[in-house]
Amino acid sequence: MMDFLTPVTWADALAVKADRPEAVPVAGGTDVMVELNFHRRRPAALLDLTRVPELAAWGRDGDVLRVGAGVSYTRLIEELGGLLPGLAAASRTVGSPQIRNRGTLGGNLGSASPAGDGHPPLLAAGAVVELASVRGTREVPVADFFTGPKRSVLAPDELIAAVLVAPADGPEQFAKIGTRNAMVIAVSSFALALHPGRRSVGTGIGSAAPTPRRAPEAEEFAAAHLPWDGPGPLDPDLARRFGELVSAAAAPIDDVRGTAAYRRHSLSVLARRTLTWAWEELCE
Amino acid sequence: MTTAIGRPIDRVDGPAKVTGAGRYSADVPLPGLVHAVVVGSRIPAGRIISIDTRAAEQANGVLAVLTHLNLPKGGSVPPLVPSLAGAAATGQTFFPMQDEVIHYAGQHVAVVVAETLEQAEHAATLLRIDYAAAPFVTTVEQGREQAYEARRIFGGFLPGRVERGDVDAGLAEAAVTVDLGYRYAANHHNPIECSATTAVWQGDRLTVYDATQGPNATLHTLAELLNVMPSHIRVVTDFVGGSFGCKAMIWDHPALAALAARHVGRPVRLALSREQMFSSVGHREQQEQQLTLGADAQGRLTAVRHHKLSPTSHFDDWAEPSLGVASQLYACPNYQGVYRLIRANTMTPTFTRCPGEASGMFALETALDELAERLGLDPLEIRLRNYAETTPGDGTPWSSKKLRECYRRGAELAGWDRRDPRVGALRDGDTLLGWGMATSAYPCYQPGNPQRARARLYADGSAVVQASISDIGTGSATAMTQVAADGLGVQLERVRFQYGDSDLPNTAAAVGSAGAGMVSAAVHVATTALRDQLIAQALADPGSPLHGADPRQVTVAEGRMALRERPDVGETYAALLQRAFMADAEAVGTWNPPPDTSGGSMTFGAQFAQVAVDPDLGLVRVRRLIGVFDAGRILNRKTAHSQLMGGMIWGMSHALLEGTRMGPDGRWANASLGEYLVPVNADAPEVVVETVESTDTVVNPLGVKGVGEVGMVGTAAAIANAIHHATGKRLHRLPITIEDLL
Amino acid sequence: MTCTVNGVPRTADDVWEGESLLYVLRERLGLPGSKNACEQGECGSCTVYLDGTAVCSCLVAAGQAVGREVVTVEGLSGGPDAEPGPVQRAFLAAGAVQCGFCTPGLIVAVDDLLSRNPHPTDPQIREALAGNLCRCTGYEKIMEAVRLAAGGQA
Repeated sequence: MMDFLTPVTWADALAVKADRPEAVPVAGGTDVMVELNFHRRRPAALLDLTRVPELAAWGRDGDVLRVGAGVSYTRLIEELGGLLPGLAAASRTVGSPQIRNRGTLGGNLGSASPAGDGHPPLLAAGAVVELASVRGTREVPVADFFTGPKRSVLAPDELIAAVLVAPADGPEQFAKIGTRNAMVIAVSSFALALHPGRRSVGTGIGSAAPTPRRAPEAEEFAAAHLPWDGPGPLDPDLARRFGELVSAAAAPIDDVRGTAAYRRHSLSVLARRTLTWAWEELCE
Repeated sequence: MTTAIGRPIDRVDGPAKVTGAGRYSADVPLPGLVHAVVVGSRIPAGRIISIDTRAAEQANGVLAVLTHLNLPKGGSVPPLVPSLAGAAATGQTFFPMQDEVIHYAGQHVAVVVAETLEQAEHAATLLRIDYAAAPFVTTVEQGREQAYEARRIFGGFLPGRVERGDVDAGLAEAAVTVDLGYRYAANHHNPIECSATTAVWQGDRLTVYDATQGPNATLHTLAELLNVMPSHIRVVTDFVGGSFGCKAMIWDHPALAALAARHVGRPVRLALSREQMFSSVGHREQQEQQLTLGADAQGRLTAVRHHKLSPTSHFDDWAEPSLGVASQLYACPNYQGVYRLIRANTMTPTFTRCPGEASGMFALETALDELAERLGLDPLEIRLRNYAETTPGDGTPWSSKKLRECYRRGAELAGWDRRDPRVGALRDGDTLLGWGMATSAYPCYQPGNPQRARARLYADGSAVVQASISDIGTGSATAMTQVAADGLGVQLERVRFQYGDSDLPNTAAAVGSAGAGMVSAAVHVATTALRDQLIAQALADPGSPLHGADPRQVTVAEGRMALRERPDVGETYAALLQRAFMADAEAVGTWNPPPDTSGGSMTFGAQFAQVAVDPDLGLVRVRRLIGVFDAGRILNRKTAHSQLMGGMIWGMSHALLEGTRMGPDGRWANASLGEYLVPVNADAPEVVVETVESTDTVVNPLGVKGVGEVGMVGTAAAIANAIHHATGKRLHRLPITIEDLL
Repeated sequence: MTCTVNGVPRTADDVWEGESLLYVLRERLGLPGSKNACEQGECGSCTVYLDGTAVCSCLVAAGQAVGREVVTVEGLSGGPDAEPGPVQRAFLAAGAVQCGFCTPGLIVAVDDLLSRNPHPTDPQIREALAGNLCRCTGYEKIMEAVRLAAGGQA
């Protein structure tokens, strides 16, 4: 039989996880329940996080936003669309309303899929994941969180508490390629954040490497060459070069959804387009 | 007098469906019900070395674990005959769990029965099965070298080679030829409802609730597989959650459910999971086609050579008849069609919406587009130049054909005369736009057996009309209610059509777009027979105002018989019956279908597509689909147009989304709705459907030619031709992928 | 396991907490209106309200529904034998029902859409219903049904 553990406070949840590190956390169920329904696994225990109010909260903590791991995609769109437009845009492309009502940011991170839609905008925004256990709390940059396909630095006794991320201080964009217009796992995706105040650029690549990843060379190139001083139309060659550098940062494979070659190609197009759109937005 | 037929009335089964009250085959509540799950082979070829069932048998709630070692003996496997013939209709001539040999991945090797579904599913994971794997072939690529020309295909119903004229001579005299190779992925039907059977024995009598297109097909197949008298089996199908061919033939799970129920002495429900739907109920086979067209300088076809290569199972020579309609559509004297097959480790492929018509016509209609381009002809013009005024085979007249009207109206709706023929000429910003068209056609197949219905009129003037057919979502129950009302001459709301039960008068399975035609024929014959019987009774009854009248002068409307010329002279059915102290009157009608009409009788259509292509990313968006069809008489405009629209979206899906990929391990690699993509609402374009009614006195009494499939036939080609118009790319592979467009 | 279903407190015995809410509704509470078709949140046939939010009941663990309010398609008309509600009437009038297997989930999804956005645009409808697969209709009649229901004409 499987135990179903239902902590109702964050402290309880951490204590339960310390006591039962094999317990599988479940919130929106969009990954875990599929595994159970398909009888692919039968964990010794499920740790239900939907009754922990702390996880469902978000608020400002100084200069950053602290977004609880249990905040659903629907709430990211409705409540945080203005503060985190890139993440909200990515959230709109997740599944269907039913999935967005249940699926959470923490669940997306916990599954650590290379195709997770929430990851590229978090990478682009330079977000930090707050991990907690009875041993204490640690903060891990999203870029260091993923260690491989469906693997992360999360320890067996840890839970994902929140994401810490600064509100957007410039245009943010997200673009995703899928074979359908909705309900689709990304063939490739790309997120971009412009920080005109500090003249820097953030990027996030999805579905084109063993883990979601940034494109550091592209970021440095854009930061150095974007005409920050005299905003005006973007040099198409600059956008094209940015796209090439993003594409070069990917390490895609051929799989059922697309070829490595297509992923590289599409990333260069998405990067070029999102930079162009973001720059236009900045100039408005 | 027609009052009900043709009206867009609401579905009679609608209220039960919108409130959740409808009981599908996996919803039937029965006391003592237990659950069976099937377990499929992990390997595509080889044999089972051992099955350790102990852990499963000891798991909570488990009642039985059946394998080839202990499955109770049944009867024998009937031959593979399409269910339109009205007899036993096994999907393949192989019944599993008779020995240790594995022929295909997913082959059912065990059935676990437990008190609850959860317990059965869990116990199934506890089976330990050891296999000895053998080399296998599952794809065209792997089996190309060992292909053979089929003597007959399609359950033996069609020849493996068809020729007329001299195709080599026709090609030699051609001014222009195109020779094109086409590749198609396999497809799976994926109705939203997975197949399910609930079986309950009472002594030696079996009742089965089965999700089937033909309750009688299930009955006769079970009778043979179980060696039980047909008289002792009843198959009930109140609701079917879609089918598209995967419930047209009867696979092994209904028999396994019945065997399991007998074994445990309890009612058993066996519902296939979505994943199991990919290896339990057939598929549209992967295939290649080679099509060579020759035409004279005016674009008139001089030769069509069309060859197909596809994998079938180790048991049956099955190929969907991809060459059929494509061989009959245009006037061309020289034709050769050949089916080549590969013995493969898959189950026997089966009917999948537009079985053959969709794939064959994709080749023909895109090749014709290419030919038109080579000749500098408008795509519509080349079709008109090859318009077949009579059937290309023996020149007999068509039973009805208003294809020319379909072309005209479709072109008008599409604004075809405004189309700039130059490739890439139409743009919307950076997006390339394209317009394409194609012809659609689908044969009018006839059932192999007489179709029957029973009509009963009660003394209050209300009526029950019965036939065994199931309504798989097409709207046949609604249309038959309309046909019955008109046949009897009573108001629609006074008629109940009862269906979906093998105890009711016999009809063949609702397949091949033939359901509405054949069942309306039986209902029409039964209801008009009852009407004539009641008129005769009135004429013979001295108490009737119609006593002694000429029966040809009597009409019936709203339940009242009256003289055509003197409507005041007459009486109601109710008055007649009540005076005679009759509680009801009844008649059975039998319609004997004509011999096969599929060569000279078809539904036709003209289809137009408008697409937008993002050239940098290879993304295609279908903006508008237009279809104008000649489907004979339309029984209910609302349900018929919905069928045609649904078919068109299937065509779009065939073009751009659907494909089942075979993995290197010989198993289908994307066996889920997360990975086998079908269109979502956000993919659907604007769809315009019109029908051009034709009068057809050959196919059946009401001239119904069928709407279930023709909507799909030309769609993929129209889309591919539109993509060519936008991009200049010729696409010869389905589904079209984003990579194909870069 | 106890929760409120269609306004009535219900208790199911012998529930394994890892089973889905869909399973509890169909197999333990005798409410087969919600359909099982993919078990992975891809098709929407099992859509129900959970505490007023539209969800795929196949992705809700039984234990997560304890003490919560569930409304199924059966609850939208006040019972299987009651008169259809406005969304249900719109589906009938528009001919948006074919085989009917996706219908219960769609009815709940449309009810949810119109409660949040009484006058949705076509793109909003298509997006809001993207998680409800229909294999029969081609979606056009479903669009008509939503427009009808939104216009209060059903």
